Amino acid sequence: MSAIDDLTTELARLPGIGRKTAQRLTYHLLKQPADQSRRLAQALVTLVDTVRTCTRCFNLTEAPLCSICSDGRRDGTLVCVVEDAADIAAIERAGEFRGRYHVLGGRLSPLDGVGPDDLTIGALLARIPEDEVTEVILATNPSLEGEATALYIQRQLAPLGVRVTRIARGLPVGGDLEYADGVTIAQALQARRDM
Amino acid sequence: MLASLTVREFRNLAALDLEVEAAGLAIVGDNGHGKTNLLEAIAYLRLLRSWRGARDVDVVRFGAAGFHVRATLHPPARAHSAAIGFERASRRKRALLDGVEQPRLSDALGALPSVCFSPADVALVADGPGERRRFLDVALALTSPSYLQALQTYRAALSRRNATLREVQRAGRAGADAAARVAVWEPALAEHGATIVGARRDWVAAHAEPFATLCAAIGESAPVSMRYVGPAEDSDASALADALRAQLEAQRAQELRRGITLVGPHRDDLQLLLGGRELRTFGSAGQQRSAAIALRMRESATVREQLGAAPLLLLDDPFAELDVRRAQAILDLLAAEGVGQVMLAVPRAEDIPPAFTRLSRRTMREGRLS
Repeated sequence: MSAIDDLTTELARLPGIGRKTAQRLTYHLLKQPADQSRRLAQALVTLVDTVRTCTRCFNLTEAPLCSICSDGRRDGTLVCVVEDAADIAAIERAGEFRGRYHVLGGRLSPLDGVGPDDLTIGALLARIPEDEVTEVILATNPSLEGEATALYIQRQLAPLGVRVTRIARGLPVGGDLEYADGVTIAQALQARRDM
Repeated sequence: MLASLTVREFRNLAALDLEVEAAGLAIVGDNGHGKTNLLEAIAYLRLLRSWRGARDVDVVRFGAAGFHVRATLHPPARAHSAAIGFERASRRKRALLDGVEQPRLSDALGALPSVCFSPADVALVADGPGERRRFLDVALALTSPSYLQALQTYRAALSRRNATLREVQRAGRAGADAAARVAVWEPALAEHGATIVGARRDWVAAHAEPFATLCAAIGESAPVSMRYVGPAEDSDASALADALRAQLEAQRAQELRRGITLVGPHRDDLQLLLGGRELRTFGSAGQQRSAAIALRMRESATVREQLGAAPLLLLDDPFAELDVRRAQAILDLLAAEGVGQVMLAVPRAEDIPPAFTRLSRRTMREGRLS
């Protein structure tokens, strides 16, 4: 039956879902009340029709400007650069950062054919004079590709005379030293400070 | 140390189960019946891949879905059991230690510490620098987690820089734009490359003299020596990183034309010299074989140093093509080092040297032991 096959195929494309799980979900959707499945379908349609990226920072939003960019209490001169919109949620949970964001939409990944032109770096450079940005915090992941991305952006920003900082690396708070991996400990030692 | 071994669908070994005594085992059998395959299967529990450089798919027995090698172990091995399996359809390789699947394959590297001596080792000396780099990488990565980490990160950064060089070429970019795209991978290459070169230089510094002594003891009259040929003479990590960074920058224009990274530890050589000339081109076949055996003995010493005990020796007809005098000298050297467990493979029972006649014997015929 092709309707069942079609949905199973679509579900199996989702991350973390294999063919078997997709099949189970499909049968589950058939078994539950039709209204409930329709609500799911409607939620999906609404999602793809209304959610877009913020015209300024490329965060996910339903309005032209995201809730952070349109919040007048946020400090627009301080911009935190992240790889994906999901990273914003993580930083927001900490409640520490009162500036605005810039979502790159990924990281430099030449093996997947992702270069600087595929990221929103050009828009970031344009924001610096437009929003009178004074500091850019590079919060890409501390991975090989995240570091390369941060370095690329830092070099692009250098001529603009804006302060560029990189988030620190080290031991997780509340963590146990004996469970930390060697690289993390080595970097935490390098970045030690007087007290 | 190897206590028992189970091999399934590995080359011509359909199903093989084997108990191994503490002293080891001599396997006698004509060529082409599976002696080397058995040693290769055992070596998989150290390298997690073929020591002969074969692809995993090519190691699966013809027509089989995958291969499986499992062993129960005794100290100095760090686990009580180790297993490695490969499935042809999914091309998936899994390694288990004490029955637990390892999240990263590399966590199981060195599960059964062994060193293999084989006539094919002559390639270490006679072939290009790649063979000797691989030799150094195996000897160091399996005895130093920080080397392994540096090597993995270096290779990841290298493949990304090379991909960027090709992309820049294809898109016809030039000037500062092209350089900026390529340059972002260089700090990682310099940092981890410095770790690699530093460890290799330290290894050469520690092993050059014993290596020369071994070659002389095996019976080479001309002095044999080794030296590391790389971009910088330094062995201090930060000076090395600075040197590598400067060279990457200096080579960048040429690399942008060629589309490949031209400097770094992936281009270095462990040079072997006979009286000041390259053994690779000027050595006789016998001299090259002696030097290859001496290299393996230094590998064995490296593993022993880290392990605090002798590794399992896999001797694949090691004295073929060697004259009696050299063979005897090598046996004396091995004995002087203190031999642990040995798996010896020879074509005929007469080929078993006196030192190993006490080993139990099994006969290999068409992939079966009797």
